[in-house]
Amino acid sequence: MIWREHRTLLIVLGVLLLANAIFFFTYRVQYESRLHELDARLQQAEDDLQRARNKRLQAEQQLASYNRVEVDLENLYTHTWSTKPQRLTALINELKRLGAMTQLDPNSMNFAQAQDKDAQKNGRVGTSIVTITFSVHGSYQKIRQLINLLELSHQFVIIDAIHLGGGGSSSGDLTLDLRLKTVFRELPRSTMPLNKEM
Amino acid sequence: MKPLHLNLAARPYRDYRPVYAVVVVASLLIAFMLLNNIETGYRYARDTRTTRAKIAGIEQQTAAENRRAADAAQRLRGVNIKVLADQAQFVNARLVERAFSWSELLDQLEGVLPDDVRILSIAPAFSKEGLVHLALDMVGKSDQGMVHTLDRLNRDSRFANAFPASESKSTEGYHFGIGVDYKPSIARTVE
Repeated sequence: MIWREHRTLLIVLGVLLLANAIFFFTYRVQYESRLHELDARLQQAEDDLQRARNKRLQAEQQLASYNRVEVDLENLYTHTWSTKPQRLTALINELKRLGAMTQLDPNSMNFAQAQDKDAQKNGRVGTSIVTITFSVHGSYQKIRQLINLLELSHQFVIIDAIHLGGGGSSSGDLTLDLRLKTVFRELPRSTMPLNKEM
Repeated sequence: MKPLHLNLAARPYRDYRPVYAVVVVASLLIAFMLLNNIETGYRYARDTRTTRAKIAGIEQQTAAENRRAADAAQRLRGVNIKVLADQAQFVNARLVERAFSWSELLDQLEGVLPDDVRILSIAPAFSKEGLVHLALDMVGKSDQGMVHTLDRLNRDSRFANAFPASESKSTEGYHFGIGVDYKPSIARTVE
């Protein structure tokens, strides 16, 4: 009966006591372990940051590498390979100049081209491979000199195959058939200027 | 005889002392624990202020890093990797062909071929591993020209897998073809 009369007060005191006890046993008794937990959380946060940083660096490096490749490809296509109107005549002149330097003037030159038709369809930059075949007649040393000059030329020219013939003369001269190839950038047909008749 | 006067109804007797005792003890306990808890909370807040600030700062940095990573990933998704890889492979193959040194090859062949064998044609094919497969067309003065050439190519470390393709006799001599792998001094691989 006496407890019931002070029920409210006792309940309030009980609740306060319980709350303080919970706080006491959680924070006071486990004080050290909570500090360790916080240190562990700090370590975990640092690890998370390092992981996020690595992930970001990896993505940025990959992106930079793609960008670099894109720029390099663009430079190669635009400046080194260029288009036929921009570079073909310069290439022919270069071949003639090298022939004249080695006194191996080409008797005849043949040109052929093959376009990469799938390139533009697949989203790649279009290219065409131009093959130039010509034959020269001269000593082995001059032929070696011509090959060396072609390798050192600033023009992008690839020696695709060579064919050496006896030449049929008693001087020991040889006939060299050279097959060269080079790559040109092909512009999309839609960008080609149209002649408009008035 | 003196009569008994029982006054039971005037003031009911109740012993409240146990209740008061419990209230006092509980109040004291609560007061003690409350003070202790306040001190603990204050000390915890003071001792961990630096660490908590560090954690908050790190979490902010992590969020910023995640945003930047997501941004980079978004831009990466815009790159057509397949097209880029195809183009790079095509370009690399052409660069390998361009970098191939015919002068070096001719120097090597001059040192390897027998004196009575002459080259008619050379056609290279480039492999991804950096090796160059050569299709050699040659003519020899004797019927041993092909055999000697194969022996000499097999002995030279720069050449491998020499294998004859054909041999025929003509007015010029003995025509024969040989396929052989050649390893240039600077081998370039096609990626």
